[in-house]
Amino acid sequence: MSVSLFKDVVKPIATGFGITLKRLSHKKETVFYPEQRREQYPRTRWRHFLTRYESGLERCIGCSLCAGACPARCINVVAAENTDEKRFSPGERYAERYEINMIRCIFCGYCQDACPTGAVVLRKNFELADYKRESFIYTKEMLLESFPGEADAPWVGEYEEVK
Amino acid sequence: MSELLQLGSVNQRPQPPKREELTLRFSDAAVKELDALRTHYPEEKACVLPGLWIAQREYGGFLDGEALAEVAYRLDRSYAEVEGVATFYSMYNTAHRPGRHKIEVCTCLSCHVNGAYRVWDYLKSKLGVGHGETTADGEFMLEEVECLDACDRAPVIQVGDQYYGPVDDAYMDRLLDELRASPVNTVVQMADSIVAVQVTGPEREAAHR
Amino acid sequence: MAAVASETVNLVINDVEIAVPKGELIVESVKRLGLEIPIFCYHPRMKPVGMCRMCLVEVGFKQPDGSVRKMPKPQAACTLPAQDNMVIFTDTEMVHRDRKGVLEFLLINHPLDCPICDRGGECPLQNNTLFYGPSTSRFIEVKRHAHKAFPLSKYVTLDLERCIQCGRCVRFTEEISGDSELAFRFRGASMQPSTFELRDFTSKFSGNVIEICPVGALTNREYRFRARPWDLETKPSICLECSNGCATWFDYRVNRLVRVNGRTNEAINEEWTCDRGKFGHEHYNADNRLTVPLIRRGDRLEECDWPTAYAAILSAFGVGGDKVAMLAGSSLSNEGAYLLNRLFHRKFGSANVDYRRTAHTLPPDEAAGNAPTAIADLELKPSILVFGNSPADDIPIIFLRIRKAWFKHGARVVVAHHGETEADSFADVVLRYAPGTDADLAKGLVAARANDAAGVAQAAAACGVDESRIREAAALLGENTAIVTTDSLLNSASGADAFRALRQLGGELNRYALGANDQGFADLGLVPGPDGRGTAAILAGCADGSIESLWLAGADPFAFGDRATVEKALEQVGFVVYQGTHKSEAMGFASVVLPMAEPAEGDGTYVNAERRLQELRAVLSPPGEAKAAWRIGAELALRVGMAKPYFGAKDVAAEIFTQVPAFRGVAFGDRLN
Repeated sequence: MSVSLFKDVVKPIATGFGITLKRLSHKKETVFYPEQRREQYPRTRWRHFLTRYESGLERCIGCSLCAGACPARCINVVAAENTDEKRFSPGERYAERYEINMIRCIFCGYCQDACPTGAVVLRKNFELADYKRESFIYTKEMLLESFPGEADAPWVGEYEEVK
Repeated sequence: MSELLQLGSVNQRPQPPKREELTLRFSDAAVKELDALRTHYPEEKACVLPGLWIAQREYGGFLDGEALAEVAYRLDRSYAEVEGVATFYSMYNTAHRPGRHKIEVCTCLSCHVNGAYRVWDYLKSKLGVGHGETTADGEFMLEEVECLDACDRAPVIQVGDQYYGPVDDAYMDRLLDELRASPVNTVVQMADSIVAVQVTGPEREAAHR
Repeated sequence: MAAVASETVNLVINDVEIAVPKGELIVESVKRLGLEIPIFCYHPRMKPVGMCRMCLVEVGFKQPDGSVRKMPKPQAACTLPAQDNMVIFTDTEMVHRDRKGVLEFLLINHPLDCPICDRGGECPLQNNTLFYGPSTSRFIEVKRHAHKAFPLSKYVTLDLERCIQCGRCVRFTEEISGDSELAFRFRGASMQPSTFELRDFTSKFSGNVIEICPVGALTNREYRFRARPWDLETKPSICLECSNGCATWFDYRVNRLVRVNGRTNEAINEEWTCDRGKFGHEHYNADNRLTVPLIRRGDRLEECDWPTAYAAILSAFGVGGDKVAMLAGSSLSNEGAYLLNRLFHRKFGSANVDYRRTAHTLPPDEAAGNAPTAIADLELKPSILVFGNSPADDIPIIFLRIRKAWFKHGARVVVAHHGETEADSFADVVLRYAPGTDADLAKGLVAARANDAAGVAQAAAACGVDESRIREAAALLGENTAIVTTDSLLNSASGADAFRALRQLGGELNRYALGANDQGFADLGLVPGPDGRGTAAILAGCADGSIESLWLAGADPFAFGDRATVEKALEQVGFVVYQGTHKSEAMGFASVVLPMAEPAEGDGTYVNAERRLQELRAVLSPPGEAKAAWRIGAELALRVGMAKPYFGAKDVAAEIFTQVPAFRGVAFGDRLN
């Protein structure tokens, strides 16, 4: 079988570079992460947050329904009783400990569905990488937003969101 | 109810009174009447209602915890059981000290159409108390009640074991003055007259001899 | 409710014909077909009241022409006795509509705080609403509001908002525990099941109302917010807080015991628990649990490993003979006790072993065969004599049986005790004798049975009880009487004489053990041999120096002995082995401390007061290096070359079954021979 210079060498190269040339005029798909970040779909499910009411009180009442719904069994809730002196949430009960094992979590969002108060939500922060296994167990301090509405602002710092 | 709920702190709850610590206030006549009543029923449990009437008379018209405890003690029932019975019936005064006269205003249909609420409002403003409350001087307690079964005299009120009606504002003024002047405690008197119906004549005579 | 009538009637339930005992309640008959009727107020062990209306069924009767004529309105299955020709429908449109209506009505005033309610997840109201209830409510008005989480007692929390007024708790205190401490106060929507003036709920059986409450109105204060049902793991266990050995469920979360619930065992506790059993297991989670072996160096106890501890013990106990002694504590398993007992008898050559904590003891021939009446059989005794103890304190579940015998079967009960007891409330005759005159009263009863007027008079004078009372009591007793006493009678100086007298009274004389496995120790022969010393003699021996080494196997002498005596004994004795679960005062005197697992942290068998052999499989794992009693015994046995290795408590149990006569041929759950 003979090799044709034009058909087997020049034409594929030309076609290949042709595609490259054609793409040059297209809109660029890559972004300069982390200065630029891609806009995500509204129902994206990544990192969990424990939200607060406008008043600053925690929404979580420590009912453990998220732990019951979790198919990966990665949530551990230990509840305790509010007192008038030490009040964390409205009502009688609050979560003293709330832990999610992020390695086990499959981000199905069942916990968010099960939550009767809308306390646990999965938001767009996907930067969960870390160096040690222990640091993937997110404690209540890590999960709880420091001010109401924090969970809805995906990232801190300056960045540009691109389509 | 709300005052009762505040009894004691979480770790130091008030204990039920010990039987030997009760202060018993039944008079000899009352004890005899109760003993006589016991023979009327197959078991002592049935004696709780008449026993409470005797207690209402002996304790000045008001069944407080001590009165209930004494009935329970004398009939060998538990305190809670007697309290449950007493608080169920509205004619036992368990929630408020009734004062000397308990004015019960019927506001059911016939009395209503004949102006019971006019009388009710008048009494409220004149005595300065509402439903289930007692005047500061301890003379009158006002209560709105269901049908008193005396529609022919509507609007009708009951004080002690007496019905008065048809009443209007002027009638009430007169009646209140009369009641205030009379030395009788009609609440106690009514309890006594109910006890008198329960025990037979000879038993009562023997008790009060 | 067990039907007593042997007569049967034929009825039709959902087109299936079935014969049931006449008078059986329909709610029970339906269960025979594997069907379920939703219930709230009905409880099989209490009288039906028909308060909640949840169990409505359609009822019809077969007519002579073969047709079925239905009653116009549905009937409550819990109060309806079975009759011939009855036709029951549990699955018609009307029934479903009624159930929806009843549930909607019950939920009018029920708060929707299931997520924080301790009952959520195991709540009959939740389940029934899910299966039979409406999806929405038409009630838009304001719900009833009341105090949340009112602490009714140190064990029970009352949430009035959640109450559906079924009356189970009220009926329990009235019918089962008998203290009638709960009643319905007020009426209508403000009706509240509560104690007198909402004072403390002091019943000794208050924990049961938590379990039978079909909603979260009565909840457990110790379990409050500790876990949700789906967080829990559950294993069957037995309660070893007293000698009754009730069947329980141990619910635990991450190896931490969070609550104890009653488990059904008709032979012992039916389904009830006492407060001591239900709330008394907090010591499992205590901070002062022992986790590592300790050994004394100078004036300090230092951590060491097990071999070091064993070596120290074996060298100290090597002197053997009369110079070493052991006291056993009541929660030791049969296996642990058997191995230590064998170690003392065979290796150390010592007969100084004892478990008895009473001030006086009975000689061996009189102590044998001490529990002829099974707990369940007490129920059918025509008369019961409670002598010298307060059963609700000593043997709470046996107290419930005695009360049931009176309440359900009309047994005549005589209570003889120097103090007030719960049993006084239903006793036919109460004999309140002067403390210490037990024997006089017992002799008086015997004299009264024999029509010996002089004897009765003499006894009456001695014990301060009316002659007529003694005669009245004696008249109620007979050959079929069950006499219920406990070891606590032996704390009285004349207790032993009282037993001798009671034996002449006829009937079945029961001396129930007090400690969890005391009966097992008795049957294993954990008592001093003919040349051995008993508990008192051992302590005396320690004090005077004739005993050099003392082994406290789960026993805390401060808990039963006279304080000065015990202190002196522990100070004087040269070497003390403290084998225990918790740090305690006695540990301060120890030379070696062996951390022991709690009963439910290791396998073992136990014998309860009625001599029923029960098996307990480990529920939790022991903390730290603590070991189960059988393992400590087995490792020591191996070290002194006494036996082939035991690989589990089962191996030890198998040996007990062949070696100890009382245990021969007994299956778990049966009474000893």
